Amino acid sequence: MNSVDFSRIEVGDRLPELSINITAKLITGAAIASRDYQNVHHDQDAARALGSPNIFMNILTTNGFVGRYVTDWTGPSGVLKTVSIRLGSPNYPGNPMVMNGEVVSKDDTDRSVKLKVTGKNTIGDHVIGDVVVRLV
Amino acid sequence: MMADGAGKMFGEDRLTRQIESHGEAELQEIAALEEKLQSCVGVETGPFLAWDRVNRPMIRHWCEAMGDQNPAYSDPAVAAKIGAPQGTVIAPPTMMQAWTMTGFSGQHPPGSDTREQNPAMACFAEHGYLAVVATNCEQEYMQPVFEGDSLSGHATIEAVSGRKTTALGVGYFVTQLTEYRNQRDEIVGTMRFRILNYRPALPV
Repeated sequence: MNSVDFSRIEVGDRLPELSINITAKLITGAAIASRDYQNVHHDQDAARALGSPNIFMNILTTNGFVGRYVTDWTGPSGVLKTVSIRLGSPNYPGNPMVMNGEVVSKDDTDRSVKLKVTGKNTIGDHVIGDVVVRLV
Repeated sequence: MMADGAGKMFGEDRLTRQIESHGEAELQEIAALEEKLQSCVGVETGPFLAWDRVNRPMIRHWCEAMGDQNPAYSDPAVAAKIGAPQGTVIAPPTMMQAWTMTGFSGQHPPGSDTREQNPAMACFAEHGYLAVVATNCEQEYMQPVFEGDSLSGHATIEAVSGRKTTALGVGYFVTQLTEYRNQRDEIVGTMRFRILNYRPALPV
């Protein structure tokens, strides 16, 4: 697993791009793993009746991916302090999400780094997030 | 819905404003709903307990689905380096909300507050706003959550927006703050969660 050296992190550093293959299996499996049984995350007919063209990823899963994306970069010494996300275009099956991230500030006093993280699909921004991670 | 661009579905900053026309009866119903919604603001509910203590199988299922291979979540030796008690792993911080979810049964475990966690939900259901999407989630983690911890949540509705016309349908944004505590009554984290409760514009 990757491991970043806090002293070498610079504002403007970019995290490696990560593409997530969005499948019905992922959407339903991750919804259940997050204990979210809302029908729009596993039942296509129910999703359509509520105005959505297909089942879509739940917000807990998006949170999980944003957190994972950041700690994939820091390695296990990265401890998440805040994950603040807003959702845009839903993640539907068959439309991959491409994640990118950038260091926006660095705080030497508590060895923390603030990052801007985005996850885009072909419709637009699925998620825009601000993450603070501390390197212990 | 798709006419507005499917990319513009969620979020108040992406609204497509349309003029709604209402009859007198409808206006009265809207006023009644909005009065009920405002009465929910500031009401604290909880505790909502977790069915299970923080445990490795549920952490593993989460990590498996998210493709998260962080060893702090699976290997006690690695977790110990970031403060986990001996023999325990750390739970992914973003999993905080999952522990106190009702799950398949839709019920919180015994000992939980028997009131609705989100009292506005019943008002929305009564008035036919049956659909919900989450639009924002801000989580702050005050301390790590370890295997064996027992979490509970207390929730307060902070705000209900005015009536909004979105690409999904007409509805209201509800912002709820939940505070999560461990078995020692220490706050492990907070979550500010924003959802849109709406009446679907048109089934697709």
